[in-house]
Amino acid sequence: MDRGAGDAAGGDKAGGEISVDLDELNSLAVRTAEAVKADDAVALSTRIAESMVRFADNSATVANRVDEAELTVYLAKAGRRAIASTSNLSPAAVRGFVKDLYASMRGLPEAEYAPLPDAGARFSQSGGVDRKLEDAEEMLPELAKAAIDSSLAAGGERSAGAISAWKATVAILTTSGARGSDSRTAITLNIRSFGEGDASGHGLSCSSTLRGFDPEEAGRRAGAGAKGMRHAAEPEAGKYEVLLSPTVASNLVETVAGAASAFSVDAGTSCLAGKLGKEVAAPAFYLTDHGVIEGGFGGRAFDDEGSPTRATKIIDGGVLRGYLHNLTTAKKWRSETTGNAGLIAPHPWNLEVGAGDSSYEEMVKEMKKGIVLTSNWYTRFNNYRTGEFSTVPRDGAYLVEDGKVVRPLKGMRAGDDQQRLLSSVRLLSKEREWVQWWEVDTPTLCPWMLVDGVSITRAYD
Amino acid sequence: MEKGGMRVQEARDLAEAGVSKALKAGASYAEARVQATWEREFGLKNGEPQPSVFVEGYGIGIRVIAGGALGFAATNAMHRTSVGEVAAKAVRLAKASGGMLRRPVVFDSTKPARTSWAAPETEKIESADSAWMKQVLMDIDGRVADRRAGVKLTGRIFYLSAELQERYFVSSDGARVAGRVPRVSFGGSLTAVEAGSAAQRFIQQGETGGLEVVKRVGLVEKVVEEAKAMGKVLKASAKPPTEEIDIVLGPELSGIAAHESVGHPQEADRVLGREGAQAGESYLKADSLGRKIGSDEANVSDDPTLLHSNGYVPVDDEGVAAKKRSLIKGGVINEFLQNRATARQFGVESNGAARAVAFDREPIIRMANTFVEPGDYSTDEIFEEVKHGVYFKSFTEWNIDDKRLNQRYVGLEAYLIDHGELKGLVRSPVLEITTPKLWGSVKARSRHMEFEAATCGKGDPMQGAPVWTGGPETLLAGIRLGAR
Repeated sequence: MDRGAGDAAGGDKAGGEISVDLDELNSLAVRTAEAVKADDAVALSTRIAESMVRFADNSATVANRVDEAELTVYLAKAGRRAIASTSNLSPAAVRGFVKDLYASMRGLPEAEYAPLPDAGARFSQSGGVDRKLEDAEEMLPELAKAAIDSSLAAGGERSAGAISAWKATVAILTTSGARGSDSRTAITLNIRSFGEGDASGHGLSCSSTLRGFDPEEAGRRAGAGAKGMRHAAEPEAGKYEVLLSPTVASNLVETVAGAASAFSVDAGTSCLAGKLGKEVAAPAFYLTDHGVIEGGFGGRAFDDEGSPTRATKIIDGGVLRGYLHNLTTAKKWRSETTGNAGLIAPHPWNLEVGAGDSSYEEMVKEMKKGIVLTSNWYTRFNNYRTGEFSTVPRDGAYLVEDGKVVRPLKGMRAGDDQQRLLSSVRLLSKEREWVQWWEVDTPTLCPWMLVDGVSITRAYD
Repeated sequence: MEKGGMRVQEARDLAEAGVSKALKAGASYAEARVQATWEREFGLKNGEPQPSVFVEGYGIGIRVIAGGALGFAATNAMHRTSVGEVAAKAVRLAKASGGMLRRPVVFDSTKPARTSWAAPETEKIESADSAWMKQVLMDIDGRVADRRAGVKLTGRIFYLSAELQERYFVSSDGARVAGRVPRVSFGGSLTAVEAGSAAQRFIQQGETGGLEVVKRVGLVEKVVEEAKAMGKVLKASAKPPTEEIDIVLGPELSGIAAHESVGHPQEADRVLGREGAQAGESYLKADSLGRKIGSDEANVSDDPTLLHSNGYVPVDDEGVAAKKRSLIKGGVINEFLQNRATARQFGVESNGAARAVAFDREPIIRMANTFVEPGDYSTDEIFEEVKHGVYFKSFTEWNIDDKRLNQRYVGLEAYLIDHGELKGLVRSPVLEITTPKLWGSVKARSRHMEFEAATCGKGDPMQGAPVWTGGPETLLAGIRLGAR
């Protein structure tokens, strides 16, 4: 698997993506797999171009650009399965790569296996590409500056963050005939502003289009948070009503979606094991995964096995309706794939939490003794099976008494278990936001969530 | 490089060409790093083989300073033309961000390394195949499945990987560094459920080296011991004491505390605010060096030169020879982890802490192997010092705020200590404590050292770096435990 200089499949377009033909790459890989008599083969090739500008103390710290292409091949033979990826994309290298992979399977044990479906589907572009974002790198510094200026105007003193724009294309070809490609673009901004003392605020903007991107509003929120958090004090430990922003709620909801992966259920790392058809959340709570959804930039028309993606209800009116499946887990569960492969483990694409009918202001008025949390990080589990976790609030956090925000808070930790938390959701907001950032991998459309009885603790000093 | 599919000389030529092109495009400094990865992974879920995973690839990352700004561009299209374009792109990006630059980036004058290094291995990593990995995991599973470790494990996931990272680094300052890092890593989770009680344990082991790592770390026996401990943990019912007591942190707890509340806040880029929107800043400021933060017994270091360690990096990804860093010495903040840019701002020399986990990631300041230094007590003598306390042998949930002041560790296998003797297990004790209180309470340390493998997350895009955390038994005096 060696190659000489200059014979790779693709070079760079000037200033753009790597120009390798993904369909040709897939075709070569699958033809080679068929020639060696693999039972099943999937070729999944990806190309990504991402630009990012990072900043701190209102100043650029680094400008990044990554252009990559990669081929992933899945082979099955007599119940043995292997997955391999390579960035060595010359035709000779790809042929050798597939042959070597096939040869290496001789030493493998039989794995959990389900064949690819007989008639593969044809897929076409499912939307979601904004051409203005394809070469966005030149505009990122200006957009970052707009966010920083907005923060300064709102009371932030110094801001740090990252603005990123990317385009990703994934193409698939399987021995069962599934074929197609799909592209996505996105632009995201994560800005954190700091003020006097420990005061800090946080803002996000995430969009699949430039038109839907609002760096000024993200900067304004971060700056206002930094101003509003001056003179924050630690709360008394105890149980509180907690109003979770879309940013915080998305982080916790993503862990629930992870628990809905049939792989997690099998592996003993899911709090949703054994609860199909049972109440696991408040009646007002709805959680759905979407392969393709307007505004979502996490999915595509097909999954990694060539099955069509779709909308999958995970929790519907508080009841657990289903797990996320690929072909292998579906066979084991005597169910059908939900189009969420992952060749090993099913995973969500874009999550949507159903909207409620309250405004933010109405939710605050409903609180007797509570805390508003706008951002969090470092969610860790004591036990994924029981769902016990804690998370660390950061940035804007405010004490609410008798329906009024009375003062900023810092230095606390929130703890709960996933099912108690979901079952204690009292209100959801009408307004929802797309969230994806350092602490939330899966793009999530999420409302504000008012939850009763969350445990708040503080450190021994 | 060869294993990743690229000839060594070709990689070197491309790296040299990239630096040359960047300088011609207007960079005042340029570096190029060709990095190749070769990996084999195999897993078992509840005894059932999972698909084997193979990864190979390589690419080049070029970082420049142009107009005082830092630019980084990467590609895996490995032609001279593409690499030239990537170099020019890095320069163009840096210059384009100059409009929002308030402070130019300047590197220190650390002597550039010209060397070739390799983490030692006895049995070549390239000989790892699926049959070998399957056998290791089957041995483990066979020892713990079906109550063979004395407890019913309803969930068992085991993964073993063999990885080779090769890199070649060139800088316009004259650095030329070739590095080879073979590594064997194990990850596992055990879930035990009995009589309505559940316990869960995540295990990570890893060292640089070849196939011999599995025997050297005693992997099979370690996992079996962990499984046996799960049975004990399930039966633990005693509530943690609520009064002020003494705490003994086992090596695993000493290590995570050293990593989270000493290593991270002493990364100079965090101190200067560069990671503010992601991993956060630090409770320490640029003028905190020399500040007394702990007791005289608080001594914490980070050492990238430990042979076989998971974080073995004798030369960093800026071409600087790395060395042991004494982070807290006698309770005093002694040294920050530095790269070339932060070192320049602090007026010191880089101590070689810059690491990049892949060709498409910029080098940033990272820990390597962070640990509480050993003391002069035996383990028994540490326990004899305690009249009434709790011994945290292992932990599950943990987290810390982004300034690294407020941390929490929830014990998994934990014991009451009564007059120097370990008594029954205590259920889920919570150590939730500020950093000054923790390190200010250190009363004694044992001579006995152990290390754990971990993956440290930092950066945007995220970079998960292999590290060790470790230490001796560490005695903390006068602590009040929290509650879940």
